[in-house]
Amino acid sequence: MPLQVSDYSWQQTKVAVFISVPLRGVCVRDADVFCTENYLKVNCPPFLFEVFLYAPIDDESSKAKIGNDAIVFTLYKKEAAMWETLSMSGVDKETMQRIREKSILQAQERAKEATEAKAAARREDQKYALNVMMKIEEEERKKIEDMKENERIKATKELEAWKEHQRKAEEQKRIQREEKLHQQEKQIEEERKKLKHKSLTRNSAPRNLATKGRSSENIFFDKLKEDSIPAPRSVGSIKVNFTPRVFPTALRESQVAEEEEWLRKQAEARRAMNTDIPELSDLKEEEKNPEWLKDKGNKLFATENYLAAINAYNLAIRLNNKIPVLYLNRAACHLKLKNLHKAIEDSSKAYRIMKLHLRLIHPTKLYKMMLRRFGI
Amino acid sequence: MSAFEKPQIIAHIQKGLNYTVFDCKWVPCSAKFVTMGNFARGTGVIQLYEIQHGDLKLLREIEKAKPIKCGTFGATSLQQRYLATGDFAGNLHIWNLEAPEIPVYSVKGHKEIINAIDGVGGLGIGEGAPEIVTGSRDGTVKVWDPRQKDDPVANMEPVQGENRRDCWTVAFGNAYNQEERVVCAGYDNGDIKLFDLRNMSLRWETNIKNGVCSLEFDRKDISMNKLVATSLEGKFHVFDMRTQHPTKGFASVSEKAHKSTVWQVRHLPQNRELFLTAGGAGGLHLWKYEYPIQRSKKDSEGVEMGVAGSVSLLQNVTLSTQPISSLDWSPDKRGLCICSSFDQMVRVLIVTKLHKI
Repeated sequence: MPLQVSDYSWQQTKVAVFISVPLRGVCVRDADVFCTENYLKVNCPPFLFEVFLYAPIDDESSKAKIGNDAIVFTLYKKEAAMWETLSMSGVDKETMQRIREKSILQAQERAKEATEAKAAARREDQKYALNVMMKIEEEERKKIEDMKENERIKATKELEAWKEHQRKAEEQKRIQREEKLHQQEKQIEEERKKLKHKSLTRNSAPRNLATKGRSSENIFFDKLKEDSIPAPRSVGSIKVNFTPRVFPTALRESQVAEEEEWLRKQAEARRAMNTDIPELSDLKEEEKNPEWLKDKGNKLFATENYLAAINAYNLAIRLNNKIPVLYLNRAACHLKLKNLHKAIEDSSKAYRIMKLHLRLIHPTKLYKMMLRRFGI
Repeated sequence: MSAFEKPQIIAHIQKGLNYTVFDCKWVPCSAKFVTMGNFARGTGVIQLYEIQHGDLKLLREIEKAKPIKCGTFGATSLQQRYLATGDFAGNLHIWNLEAPEIPVYSVKGHKEIINAIDGVGGLGIGEGAPEIVTGSRDGTVKVWDPRQKDDPVANMEPVQGENRRDCWTVAFGNAYNQEERVVCAGYDNGDIKLFDLRNMSLRWETNIKNGVCSLEFDRKDISMNKLVATSLEGKFHVFDMRTQHPTKGFASVSEKAHKSTVWQVRHLPQNRELFLTAGGAGGLHLWKYEYPIQRSKKDSEGVEMGVAGSVSLLQNVTLSTQPISSLDWSPDKRGLCICSSFDQMVRVLIVTKLHKI
């Protein structure tokens, strides 16, 4: 239970009230002063001092001086009148409670208003700062744009001036050319007149001579022009070899790894087809590769060793009978050996396989049966 | 170099077109340029524009039967200014833009689309006969003389029976006197082949491991100095062409940029150390080549071999989201260039401060 302080003293003037509350050992930190228009409270444990004021005061401008074992309040009255007593008379507990609560509410409201005002003020400041920043940046940008615009205008003016210059030069050249032409014509006229005079006796000649004279002049001019440009080059042809590339697309470094991978897989697929024929166990590893056999066959074909080439192709076909190139090459060998029937058979086989590959014909059941039965 | 001293690439004029544009070229000695491409209806188109007061004015539109892939003014005289074009059907035509109904020269040069064309000997640059070279998807590279009908004066074709690779780009070079001339061709399997037209032989070949999109010598009319080859996968190589080693060929330096196909390279006509590359992501990079201290040195056997220099990036800019398929510097005004891209736009660009480099 806090101790009520009752041995306070007070004085007043027309506009102010001075209250002196003695509190032993009081300091700023301990004393909690709560003041509203009608109510003043000091809570300094263990002491409590409260007073319900006679008349409202202006609590915003009132002051409290804390120290020296006492608090001195300087309260400015709202109305300049002398108070009869410091505290309101005839207050019972209920009124006291009510007044206390009202005061607290008042204080809270005021605090809220204060914070809101502060927040609003801060927002205003920020907006202002932002506006100023934007203006500065806008100015900078405009400066750069202006510079660019100036350059453009300068360039356009230069271009126009240069065009004018060009046009005038053209004009001048044209005038010069016309003058020269004029002079040339005059010259030709004079020559003709001279010729006419010379050949007055010879009637047949003058016209021919005149025209010849003029045409010879022209030929003379043309020849001059042509002499400075050499004759067209003598026709030649250069044969070109390209760096080999399997794919029809352009070469890209980033795709090289993928392409190599694809090619390797293709080669493996072709090799892995028929490798389980018993009598081939004594062949070397590479001789079981249809690709290698095909290359061998090609080389033998190139050296005109057709029978050996056919053997190579036979073995390759036994290993993998779905590669049309092998049949084609074997057909070529048969052709060279004049085995025309065999050539026809092999070519047809190759043709059918290629068509199958291109999905132009479908391996229907009937087709497969005929293939097995008749070996077409 | 601080940001303000670097050359800036500024888009001066941008124009959207209603057709796919494949190539654009300046008409020499004028403020006009031509764009070539194809309409959606499958016909080819050539349009002639002039730059007037900061905007483009369409002067002429010429429609032809087959879509047009590439063109050049390189082989005509300055008075005539005829445009040589290659189209999708393999025809080479030379047009007089004032009277475009009938071509001045026409030949069915190739069986498939002509991918690239180049001209030399005209415009008062270089010496020797004016010639046009075309490279096609059928793997052949043919050199034409407009005075000879129907037959090419040189034909670089694959050996009989050999698998053909598409030729993607061609370039003339080394045309410093009347006899010498060299054609360089790039293929889709990464091959670069240098053909000597005086000896009619293959002078050098190499493979840069990626399809070659564009080749250009730094100058056509001098003894071969540098060759830039751009390729897929964002790489380009600069070869020093002054010293050829018998086995190692030419020295080169390579650079990776753009993160996508480098579609074109073009050297600045006024300064042969600067070149612009156009990328598949719509970006343009401006590069400068610096020569090494010694351009050639002796290898272990005492044979001369070249030393490549270094390349530094001066500026880059992204103009569009689609690849920039063609570029051309104006030969008359330093820093002015046009580029066309697959978003159906043609842009006129100004590159500033090039005279200070």
